[in-house]
Amino acid sequence: MTVPLGAYIAVSAGLFFIGCAGVLVRRNAVVILMCVELMLNAANLALVAFSRRFGAVDQRGSVFVIFVFVIAAAEVAVGLAIVLSAYRNRPVIDVDEIRTMKG
Amino acid sequence: MSFDFVEPVVFAVLAFGVIGAGAAVVLLDRITASALLMALTFLCMAGMFVLLGAETIAAFQVLIYVGAITVLILFGVQFTKQGGDRSYALFFQKQYPLAAALVAAVAIPVALFAFSFTAPVPQPGGGDIRPLATSVFTDYAFAFEVASVLLLAAMVGAIVLTTRDQREEAARRRT
Repeated sequence: MTVPLGAYIAVSAGLFFIGCAGVLVRRNAVVILMCVELMLNAANLALVAFSRRFGAVDQRGSVFVIFVFVIAAAEVAVGLAIVLSAYRNRPVIDVDEIRTMKG
Repeated sequence: MSFDFVEPVVFAVLAFGVIGAGAAVVLLDRITASALLMALTFLCMAGMFVLLGAETIAAFQVLIYVGAITVLILFGVQFTKQGGDRSYALFFQKQYPLAAALVAAVAIPVALFAFSFTAPVPQPGGGDIRPLATSVFTDYAFAFEVASVLLLAAMVGAIVLTTRDQREEAARRRT
């Protein structure tokens, strides 16, 4: 008795929804970065699940997951650097308050 | 004894962990707790990858997400001052007998179940690392190199963005 593919996709969609809601609702910049990571991870689960059930022997979906890992690592490093340098100029972490560059 | 029920049960536990911890990341007020629950979400996700048979991806998930990205996020939390800090004591740090009873109630059945397995016959072929590596280093070799350049650029960018400008700091101190 194996777990159906739909169950994995449901978990993936649920986690993506949670991350999306977090990005829209929370105002702390670090929490927003965490929620973006959750969304990327949900996409990874969908990629691996589809690759396992429908993919050929060479598992190309898993290769894309590795590239998503690379993008996620680069994104969180640069994102935190931007948050920290914005924080140094003006000590606020609330994204609604960071509007110096707003036209 | 048939172990057919193991996979759905493990999946249910992991799905509960992923969704529950993910929701707690968004809902919790304490940002350190959010970061640690994010690590728990990633760990449960690694378990799901194992269930799907992608052990290599699960290992990368633990190394990169649970290890590196969580530590980076925690650094970000430490460097920015968070409002609404309140001191709190962990419940189980004071209630030793309760904690011991809880751990025993969970750990002993799990240990008995785990030791009831016999050693499986190792399968030839080396799991999923061989097809993965073949794809990465043949068809996707160019993308692999581009990804390494991207990581280098991100590293340099992060260093440049966070390095303090000495003259600017001195000027700010003077005013």
